[in-house]
Amino acid sequence: MVFVTGPLYSGKKTFVKEWMHWDEESLSRNAMWNVQDLAAGCENLEQLVEKLSQKQVVIATEVGGGIVPATAEERAAREAAGRLACLLAQKADTVIRVFYGIPTVLKGEEIL
Amino acid sequence: MMTLVIGGAASGKSEFAERLVLDAGNRPRYYIATMQPFDDECRERIRRHREMRAKKQFKTVECFVNLEQVTLPQKGVVLLECMSNLVANELYSLDGAGDAAVESIHQGILHLTSQCEELVIVSNEVFSGGSDYKGDTLRYLRILAQVNWMLAKEANIVYEVVCGVPVRHKGKGRTT
Repeated sequence: MVFVTGPLYSGKKTFVKEWMHWDEESLSRNAMWNVQDLAAGCENLEQLVEKLSQKQVVIATEVGGGIVPATAEERAAREAAGRLACLLAQKADTVIRVFYGIPTVLKGEEIL
Repeated sequence: MMTLVIGGAASGKSEFAERLVLDAGNRPRYYIATMQPFDDECRERIRRHREMRAKKQFKTVECFVNLEQVTLPQKGVVLLECMSNLVANELYSLDGAGDAAVESIHQGILHLTSQCEELVIVSNEVFSGGSDYKGDTLRYLRILAQVNWMLAKEANIVYEVVCGVPVRHKGKGRTT
């Protein structure tokens, strides 16, 4: 599994499509994105990671970089999203961070 | 030659960008300032920064909207700061480009590069604090992201400044 992360609107999906030579349909079939939203309220993150890692590519938006949110619910969601991202990165063979369309390999031997 | 410097609040991006300009040698230095003086606090801040830059032989050129109108007297090194301000001005000022902000800024950047030896642009990284935005904030983020993309594509060198440390994402830099 390849884990792709990066800031909001940094071009993560666009990169994956170009890199894999996928159209929108192949992307829908072989990748999951916005998985940071699945972390909130998830009872078992390890189980979620197992499920997600059946996909070829898993994409999450970095959401932990701003001001600590005002509500407990938002704080918990942000925590869970961060932990999910760490678990996905552990599980992944390759981790790529996309920064305004520019990919950087954070883990693995992939040469872009 | 064009260099893009992106970083979060107080990441050291301005200092780094300024250093890039000073390292470019003894050429005319222009600072394109995009911050509109809304109140006394803004004006005081602008005055202080102007004075600091004057010591480093920067000539300040103010441009709040429409970069295409900027004419530089000589070919030199240009520092444009900060793109996040310019985007806000283009979106929300009465004389701004509105929905055509990305295209207007793109044309403005090309216009600037044709008038200088080196262009250094500072932009803001505000995209790692969440993914659930609405209304005007969402619109602003979308447009700023598109502008950052466009700049990253046009730039020869792209740096992200993290805690004062420049991380190079594209090109070969003079420093680091």
